[in-house]
Amino acid sequence: MRKERNVDLQKWTGPKRPYDLVKELVIALVVVTVLVGGLAAIFSSPDEPAVTLQVWANKAPGDFITTTVGELAGTTISASYGPPYNNASEGLKLGPLKLQKMAGITIPVYPAEDFVVGPLAFSKDVAVLAAVSQWKATPSDQQGKWANDYASAIEKAGDPAKVSASQDFGPVPTMAAGLLTLAQSNVLDGLLTTTVTPYPSDFTKPMLFLADSGYFDELGAAQHLHGDQWGMMNETGSYPGQSWLWLFSLWYQVEPFKSSPNADAEIFLWIMILTAAFVFMPLVPFVNRLPRLIPIHRLIWRKYYRDNNL
Amino acid sequence: MVLEAISLSGPAKFFNWGFISISIPNLIMIGLIVVLFVLALVIPFPTHDSSEHTPSSERK
Repeated sequence: MRKERNVDLQKWTGPKRPYDLVKELVIALVVVTVLVGGLAAIFSSPDEPAVTLQVWANKAPGDFITTTVGELAGTTISASYGPPYNNASEGLKLGPLKLQKMAGITIPVYPAEDFVVGPLAFSKDVAVLAAVSQWKATPSDQQGKWANDYASAIEKAGDPAKVSASQDFGPVPTMAAGLLTLAQSNVLDGLLTTTVTPYPSDFTKPMLFLADSGYFDELGAAQHLHGDQWGMMNETGSYPGQSWLWLFSLWYQVEPFKSSPNADAEIFLWIMILTAAFVFMPLVPFVNRLPRLIPIHRLIWRKYYRDNNL
Repeated sequence: MVLEAISLSGPAKFFNWGFISISIPNLIMIGLIVVLFVLALVIPFPTHDSSEHTPSSERK
């Protein structure tokens, strides 16, 4: 042990004062309890109604059809996400490290099959069941052509209801309409939450399907919850949010992170670097001298410094 | 269900400055945090009296 460390072992001979930790704990507990109870009584708490597949299908049927066709075409976010859901892409990278690919497919989700084709087997409509049989009996190239052609036609028309029926999209329109019916009648929510376990406790699939929609995207944008809207800091309604996450949220607003497809991994690394700089602040030249330039500690302990002429 | 006295369910207003966009409720909370910090600095501890620096052995 170095000589100067012996100061830790020496008996304190300076001034002392009593400190009642239990008293402070009790006072703090009472004050916080009264504050929480009082503020909750006055302001309540955020209580947005849950957005289900049924709500989406009823409020935005055109968007539901469009998203369903996107799942069949493999063009949605979840269909092209990569690990941990599927192998459609490599996912997040950090330099040469392919982070998502390294983690592997741990939660298999294949949107066309899991969100559309599988649930349609529970349809009571024989035309829908025949469409599913036709889809399954068709090579994937033709499946993709039908779905992409229908998606393009919807985009051109602006609404699935305005798409000309004269074009050949195979069984895709019937399948999409069949899934809309299942969703509107609240069957699809149950089907997607009970495919993993019999208990409706795993919401991965309905949440991914919903997240692919334009409807949910617009709901998030209206509440300023998108990543590029400092959404990490915000709460629904007019409630204050997680303002302490400002440092994480900040980097999503500025380049080079803002436009990077790997922003999540890069910002995580950057925050780790900043955290290390904070931890080792006493060793960083100039920064470790800042208390002498900005002596806030002298303000806090002003009586001590004054009494001891320091 | 108990209705809250003041409803905060409506959309929040936002303060925008350059790339910075912050909700007014968040801004109020940050303001309160700063005010509390300043008050904690300047308001003396209740026990900051002349006896506090008396060695505990002498007090007994």
